Amino acid sequence: MNSKAYYGEYGGQFVSESLMNTLDEIDKAFEEAIRDPEFIKEYHYYLKQYVGRETPLYLAERLSEKYGTKIYLKREDLNHTGAHKINNVIGQILLAKRMGKTRIIAETGAGQHGVATATGAALFNMECTVYMGKEDVKRQALNVMRMEMLGATVVSVESGSNTLKDATNEAIRTWAKTAEDTFYIIGSAIGPYPYPKMVKEFQAVISREAKRQHMEAEGRLPDVVMACVGGGSNSIGMFADFIDEPGVELIGVEAAGKGIDTNEHAASMAKGRPGVLHGTRSYLLQDEDGNIQLAHSISAGLDYPGVGPEHAYLHDMGRAKYVPITDEEAMDALMELTQPP
Amino acid sequence: MPNNRIETQLNKLSERGEKAFITYITAGLPDMDKTAQIIKAQESTDIIELGIPFSDPIADGPVIQQASYEAICAGATLSGTFKLMKSLRDEGVEKPIIFMLYYNTIVSCGIENFVRKCHEAGVDGLIVPDLPKEEQESLKAALDGDDRTILIELVSPVSKDRVPEILDGARGFVYCVSAMGVTGQGGTFHSTIKEYLSYVKSVSPIPVMMGFGIREASDVAQVKDTIDGAIVGSHFINLMRDAGFDPEAAREYTDRFKKELNAL
Repeated sequence: MNSKAYYGEYGGQFVSESLMNTLDEIDKAFEEAIRDPEFIKEYHYYLKQYVGRETPLYLAERLSEKYGTKIYLKREDLNHTGAHKINNVIGQILLAKRMGKTRIIAETGAGQHGVATATGAALFNMECTVYMGKEDVKRQALNVMRMEMLGATVVSVESGSNTLKDATNEAIRTWAKTAEDTFYIIGSAIGPYPYPKMVKEFQAVISREAKRQHMEAEGRLPDVVMACVGGGSNSIGMFADFIDEPGVELIGVEAAGKGIDTNEHAASMAKGRPGVLHGTRSYLLQDEDGNIQLAHSISAGLDYPGVGPEHAYLHDMGRAKYVPITDEEAMDALMELTQPP
Repeated sequence: MPNNRIETQLNKLSERGEKAFITYITAGLPDMDKTAQIIKAQESTDIIELGIPFSDPIADGPVIQQASYEAICAGATLSGTFKLMKSLRDEGVEKPIIFMLYYNTIVSCGIENFVRKCHEAGVDGLIVPDLPKEEQESLKAALDGDDRTILIELVSPVSKDRVPEILDGARGFVYCVSAMGVTGQGGTFHSTIKEYLSYVKSVSPIPVMMGFGIREASDVAQVKDTIDGAIVGSHFINLMRDAGFDPEAAREYTDRFKKELNAL
């Protein structure tokens, strides 16, 4: 067992033998890169000049007043391409370049990670293929158009449920055949080690900024840090610099879809049990035979049947608390944030 | 004499100077009765790989993915496959049978519980394509000390210096992946296939089987002096599908393949 690949009993490297040397190669290159000041400098250059960081930590005044507390919003939506996904893409694509890879592949659900990857690939002049479930290709036609405009090839995956997990399966299969010249950019805090660690490293910029911004605004750490959890990239990035601050409560919000007592949700920690999928051991929505169940959320980015292994560990340790929120509750909150009182 | 059907069979073949012929089918495609008939019809096949369908078969190509998906839709389960195994053994079928399955199927069943069921049902070996050497500890601990069910190791053309380590203590035979990890590549050989198989053969203390992408015995003619046997997966499923899962078609194909393999 490769003990550094584990977060407690979660994580690992459950991939075919043909990818083990590839993972080792990525691990070595990654560890070297993050200790290389030139690499870090380049990464931060692109985050600032291309992505548009830092993002604001905005005090939602009326909302704060209404609930008798202070609520700050970390505006990751203001990044180039509209989500936090680009933070990780820039990091991994610079690593791919450093390793001499010429092709990039990625999986995408809603299309956010696909668009971010296609954007990064265009920026660094690399060939890019994005795997997307046939259902998602239909539902997210606009993002397919954006990816194609950026020069990426979008492969519509027709197998199993035709959604994100099937797109991920297909990306892994392609990677196993082409790893010599191809780098697989995983968008979520999942996958075999070192992916969960890499994604956290490249998303940790969210909490690094937020911590400093909060200190500047309030002169103290926040009481609670909260983020939504699908696979868990945004939330692990938001938690990263607060994990070792015992006074800060961490709350992850899972998608309860139509309710955790229905079969249509994505609450893998509330309703799943530990298992192995996409190279990692973590909480999974699965049936009694261990077959993976379909996840549902009104948010196309959260409908993944598993969760990153570090979240599973933080959950079991009690360091972070995870709560399920239904589609209806999420929509109500969105409207409350959007409309005048 | 080893207390394992696979190893006993391989010893017998080696004494006769024959190469092993191994086929793969997905359990429950189209249903468990047909699977039983297809197994029983293959008198010439030396070892049978029985695939347990899984929702996310990341190491398989399109043919086995589809087979897996259809079998699940038709109600195939792990417990149903154990039941099938038990009834085959009760009927006196002594052919070595290997379960090929994904690790989550084992984890979900509970590792020790799963191994006990394998012993009870007469499962002779396990191939777990998403369980590399580094992650085998728990399963090996559960299998240890009882020869009835053994773990079969896989190697790939990119395994290189990992091969000796993987084969240290390996049982039965070594399964060589030949198209960079995925089945159904239409007989396309990895560019350095000959060197790769020769290398594995040179360091392997156990028989070397070439898997993935083989259709006919003639496909392995170029490497016949290197390998100890051939595994046919995707092609056999296609063939069965085209024949409407007629057990007679399985008999004819496997009789002919084995005969041609012996004549190479």
